Amino acid sequence: MGNDDDDAAPPLAVRIGNEPDSNPPERSYRSQNVQQGTSEESPVGVTVITGYLGAGKSTLVNYILNAQHGKKIAVILNEFGEEIGVERAMINEGEGGALVEEWVELANGCVCCTVKHSLVQALEQLVQRKERLDHILLETTGLADPAPLASVLWLDDQLESAITLDSIITVVDAKNLQRQLEEHLKSSFFPEVFLQIAFADVVILNKVDLVSQEDYELDTSSILEELEKQIYNINSLATVIHTVRCQVDLCKILDRQAYGAKNIAHLEKLLEDSKSTFSRSRHDDTLCTLCIYEEQPVDLDMVRSWLEDLLWEKKSNMDVYRCKGVLNVLNSDQLHTLQAVREIYEIVPARKWDQGKKQMSKIILHSFDLIRTWTAMQLRIHAWRNLMYVVKLGKLRMEDG
Amino acid sequence: MATAPRVPREGKRGCRDHLVSGAPELACFFLPVPVLLSPTHCRICGETWVLHVEPRHSQGKHLGSIDHDDTERRFVLMDKDSSAAAESALSCSRCGKPAYLQCPKCVELKLPREGAAFCTQDCFKASWSSHKSVHLKSKLANVQSEQTQDGWLYCLRKGQTRTSELPYFDWTGALRPYPISQRRLVPEGLEKPDWAVDGIPKIEPNSDLQNIVEIKTPEQIERMRETCRIAREVLDAAARIIRPGITTDEIDEVVHQATIAAGGYPSPLNYHFFPKSCCTSVNEVICHGIPDARKLEDGDIVNVDVTVYYKGVHGDLNETFFVGEVDEASQQLVRCTYECLEKAISIVKPGVRFREVGEVINRHATMSGFAVVKSYCGHGIGELFHCAPNIPHYGRNKAVGIMKAGQTFTIEPMINAGVWRDRLWPDGWTAVTSDGKRSAQFEHTLLVTETGVEVLTARLPSSPKVFPWLNS
Repeated sequence: MGNDDDDAAPPLAVRIGNEPDSNPPERSYRSQNVQQGTSEESPVGVTVITGYLGAGKSTLVNYILNAQHGKKIAVILNEFGEEIGVERAMINEGEGGALVEEWVELANGCVCCTVKHSLVQALEQLVQRKERLDHILLETTGLADPAPLASVLWLDDQLESAITLDSIITVVDAKNLQRQLEEHLKSSFFPEVFLQIAFADVVILNKVDLVSQEDYELDTSSILEELEKQIYNINSLATVIHTVRCQVDLCKILDRQAYGAKNIAHLEKLLEDSKSTFSRSRHDDTLCTLCIYEEQPVDLDMVRSWLEDLLWEKKSNMDVYRCKGVLNVLNSDQLHTLQAVREIYEIVPARKWDQGKKQMSKIILHSFDLIRTWTAMQLRIHAWRNLMYVVKLGKLRMEDG
Repeated sequence: MATAPRVPREGKRGCRDHLVSGAPELACFFLPVPVLLSPTHCRICGETWVLHVEPRHSQGKHLGSIDHDDTERRFVLMDKDSSAAAESALSCSRCGKPAYLQCPKCVELKLPREGAAFCTQDCFKASWSSHKSVHLKSKLANVQSEQTQDGWLYCLRKGQTRTSELPYFDWTGALRPYPISQRRLVPEGLEKPDWAVDGIPKIEPNSDLQNIVEIKTPEQIERMRETCRIAREVLDAAARIIRPGITTDEIDEVVHQATIAAGGYPSPLNYHFFPKSCCTSVNEVICHGIPDARKLEDGDIVNVDVTVYYKGVHGDLNETFFVGEVDEASQQLVRCTYECLEKAISIVKPGVRFREVGEVINRHATMSGFAVVKSYCGHGIGELFHCAPNIPHYGRNKAVGIMKAGQTFTIEPMINAGVWRDRLWPDGWTAVTSDGKRSAQFEHTLLVTETGVEVLTARLPSSPKVFPWLNS
């Protein structure tokens, strides 16, 4: 309503008695206390949904938005991209509620000297202006590498944010996965389909009903078994769920707390005997899951140094994209958990070791070998070399497959 | 972690745009009564906006859109009945029937209701061509009065907008923004960073140096030394004029003139539209305060943050100064903050993790009963103003990397007397403590050497002796 006095059309007349005061009433704005209150409540979980084009991400999102689950879930749609400043958020208002669309605005400002990414700030605002929000889903484009997003959303606990990264869910197309994986093995770079599976805490193996229609020699269950094996080869710790049209029990995919230090998902799986956790990888010349296992207590400083050499200084040809582990630390009765996303890592005491249970250290590295010509054997030797000085104290044993 | 700032998109923020996308026509359509749109001021820019109604709230409720700044955007539910129409005894300016509506423009311009009241939109529409001349007259009068104020206005939208009225905000303490002066000019021919003209850094956000910590060449380091020394001298010049009665705008004038006199460009000027040449953060302001017309008062503390761009590199430092006689508690806060920076610098050497810096600062501040601000952190610096690494000042952070000789970065702890949480003023820059208690900060640009650290912005023998603990 700037300089439109010359406009032919008048603006809409307004109701008398409604002109604003110079001091708008306080109640119109959420007070400071309310804002603070939000942060004291438990943070709202953010689940990132990835998946290759056509795998069924949108189906999953629509299913979650429309299912009767009584939860108020905001979905930040698809258009997460560099040049886009505004995101569309669909919010399921919960029981019997309609879908509401809102805009989430990403600040354009300088983020260099702020700790939080503008996406985090936008999500925090979304949480603050909603009375109650149970969960946020972030749908990415089919071509997105989840690593930058995970790095941005994996906040320091110290920031006491109103949001917390819950988990990464990857939807894969059971019918086409095999072909997608094989195609990419021939190409010279690691495409999104690998990265998305590699980063996933949950893999939704979708369209399982369509597998049998293909002209396969094997029956459906053995095809799926094979696919599952391939997924585990890329990511041994993922939970794989079979679905048809993404119909999935929401309890299985929300609130997994995959990035929480205390409730680290797969902790139990980690504590299991290592042998059963891994199958031999067929693609071990390019990407692999390494498991480092040790029964003797390890020196925390040495583990840190070793990890920093690996993740920060890149003193090996391994490109580690995800790392999880439990540590039996020298002179501590606490079970320590280890997590890493790309370069960011964290080791924190989680809880006391269970009485009578075997105390041990186990680190699982999901990594790519940067030089494809390397054989699995060379990789093993190389990893060993890096481990040597940890081995000095802890006598770590490494298993590959 | 440091990621690209997004390029502002024309017309995609602000309430005008929101009004359009919010479709007031739609709102009218759903309402049982003719036009129930009521105006409200945009709390940020002061412009008048019309509350609109969304379909789902057509059951007699107004869903108002109050405009937002970068930090918040709220929707306000208002009761339809809360504003009784019948309170007006005015009659329509055109036909004389009881009037229920008025011209929104007149409301905006604060013109009398008489002569601007109408019974229906139709009558208003019919009178528009003759009525609107009232607005023009009033606007001309306004322009003149603004000119007499010499262009001093309040800052909004990170510096992209100005307003003549104090914006609404639930201020956390006693401090308020004051109008800011017009933009200061820099001489032609001065080497400027790429944001100097249009406010948008172009190289910085997309640089690889947002992810990789650069090892500076000896030649780069030599330039950094020169620039940092200039920055130190500029800050010292500012320190010398600080006393009760001086405005922060006058401090900015000194910083600006001293910088260009040395052949440098004041890096903050127009950086992401920042309107001034330095940051001045008074009392509860944590950082990024905008120099304005407020006179410093006896007992204030004020931080002056100077960055100079010279020979293609930036040098960044700040100090918190006492204005007149300052109470004991504030002196302790400022001294503790100074010590936090000293202690953090003392651990800097090759092989140390960047995350250790936060541990040291957090330990010292907590021991003294103060809180560390977590939302802003130290940063890499050099040919870019802000780049990798990110150095949080709080403990238990996941900062990436190990210090290596040849790296240059800042450490700039902000320590609060009360809680650590910060809030942002409507100007989009000024970060204040959420409890309104005081905050102090010190900053140096550092170079990691083979054996330890060189403080590039270190105090000089000529630096004014303003900190009592350094005199003994």
